[in-house]
Amino acid sequence: MTAAKPLHELSIAEAGRQLRAGTLTSVTLTQHALSRIAALDPLLHAFVLITKERALADADRADRELKSGIDKGPMHGIPYALKDIYATAGIRTTCHSKLLIDNVPSEDCVVETRFKAGGAVLLGKLATHEFAIGGPSLDLPFPPARNPWNLDHFTGGSSSGSGAAVAAGLVRTAMGSDTGGSIRGPAFYCGTVGIKPTYGLVSRRGVFPLSYALDHCGPLTWTVEDAALTMQVIAGYDALDPASAAVPIPDFAAALGPDLAGLKLAYPRSFFATQDGISAEVVASLDAAVQQLTRLGATVNEVVLPDIDLFNACGRIILAAEAYAIHEKDLLARPLDYARYTYQRIMVGATISAADLTQAFRLRRELSTLVNAKVLGTHDAIITANGLTPAPRFDEFPADAPLKMMLHTMPFNVTGNPTLAIPTGFSRGGLPLGMQIVGRAFDEPTVFRIGAAYEAAAGWIHKRPSLELPVAV
Amino acid sequence: MSTGDDTGVEREFDMLMAKAGANVPADRKAGVVAGYKDMKAMAKLLRQPRTATDEPSNTYDLTSFLRSRS
Repeated sequence: MTAAKPLHELSIAEAGRQLRAGTLTSVTLTQHALSRIAALDPLLHAFVLITKERALADADRADRELKSGIDKGPMHGIPYALKDIYATAGIRTTCHSKLLIDNVPSEDCVVETRFKAGGAVLLGKLATHEFAIGGPSLDLPFPPARNPWNLDHFTGGSSSGSGAAVAAGLVRTAMGSDTGGSIRGPAFYCGTVGIKPTYGLVSRRGVFPLSYALDHCGPLTWTVEDAALTMQVIAGYDALDPASAAVPIPDFAAALGPDLAGLKLAYPRSFFATQDGISAEVVASLDAAVQQLTRLGATVNEVVLPDIDLFNACGRIILAAEAYAIHEKDLLARPLDYARYTYQRIMVGATISAADLTQAFRLRRELSTLVNAKVLGTHDAIITANGLTPAPRFDEFPADAPLKMMLHTMPFNVTGNPTLAIPTGFSRGGLPLGMQIVGRAFDEPTVFRIGAAYEAAAGWIHKRPSLELPVAV
Repeated sequence: MSTGDDTGVEREFDMLMAKAGANVPADRKAGVVAGYKDMKAMAKLLRQPRTATDEPSNTYDLTSFLRSRS
């Protein structure tokens, strides 16, 4: 007989089954999460606001509804949390910035309305890098979130609180946003799953923008199935989001299973393995993951992608230009109200010319066509690196904003393809490693299928942070 | 973005900031100038042989367009 799992280790599906069987209540699940947050968050700083009263009211309502036979879907009665750039009606939404420290929106973002309609339970708002771009920064109203695997190390960003909260078992699913890797980076550094969905699949309306052309909303979770179930609640067309895609919403978990027979995967090893500064542990971990995928029945072919510098140039020019356009007024009027890194990263957008931006958009189309028509035209998915090194220490960050982030994530913001971040093991120092699984546009079910089969076979999911490490001064 | 040599980069940057109406705080300037140099290098990468018909995608959903006008 095996011991029962602690409540915070129950997946969404496992908790949902117990809620429906009447062996667990949402109030119990929520109180457990709130207790865990109270005990651990003073170390982790994952939350900037805990919505305790709202959570308990949501949970009580969910219990009454489920008891009376009303079932609102996979997240009914399940706690979740939102990165603090997601607008929540009547609940402070700061973007982790002094500029919005008193901002209380009057309307919910679309994602929040979907969680509410699905009967989910809001635990609170999560730390982010300021406006989803600064950071890690100490000159902000709230401290940066810390990595549960080692509190001296970076969580990744900008969905820093989301990665920390999921890895520490404070919440099963936490919304992040991803403009150049802000879901997949924290997922890599914190050892969680993270899905950057296809551009246009999840509404961005009511989420503070960083770059209109590159912003994606998606969840970080502990398991692939939890990511699929969260997507089932939040995905869907929104006529008032100009980028929203009017496509049918699939059953995201339908293809989950133990084998990958019949799938053809592309492995662009030279795309990442030759990068300056890449950790040998990362490369070895990717090679081992690819071998595992082959044992599960997939056919893997090595392919060549265009140079990463082209993707980065394309994405970073677009991001900088659009972020500057969004923040122009405040950058000029209140420069010192932004954190140092945020200011330095966004202000550079003022130097970009119209021709630069147009060339970037032209290149974007070329790169997207190449990835989709040539590579994904003949393969079901691409397997590639995510972070190039394990999480750096906080004290390794320089005074001025670093120019290079050791991530390989921007290419799929440029192309818009669905991309799953998933752990592939640990460094000798005990920090998580991981990979990206990139699928065809709107083919999240295949991406989840590959991720779930790998996750079950590899078994990394069973190792959790001990949270016994001392906090750095 | 112009392509002056390294020695002229800071003067070029100052001109662009003046055009933008930005008064960059002195203690933050070095980091923004470093970012500007990085952007200049990336902007060069964008300029590769490309045909005139190679244009960005500008597809919009008709429903969104019509509803946003109502």
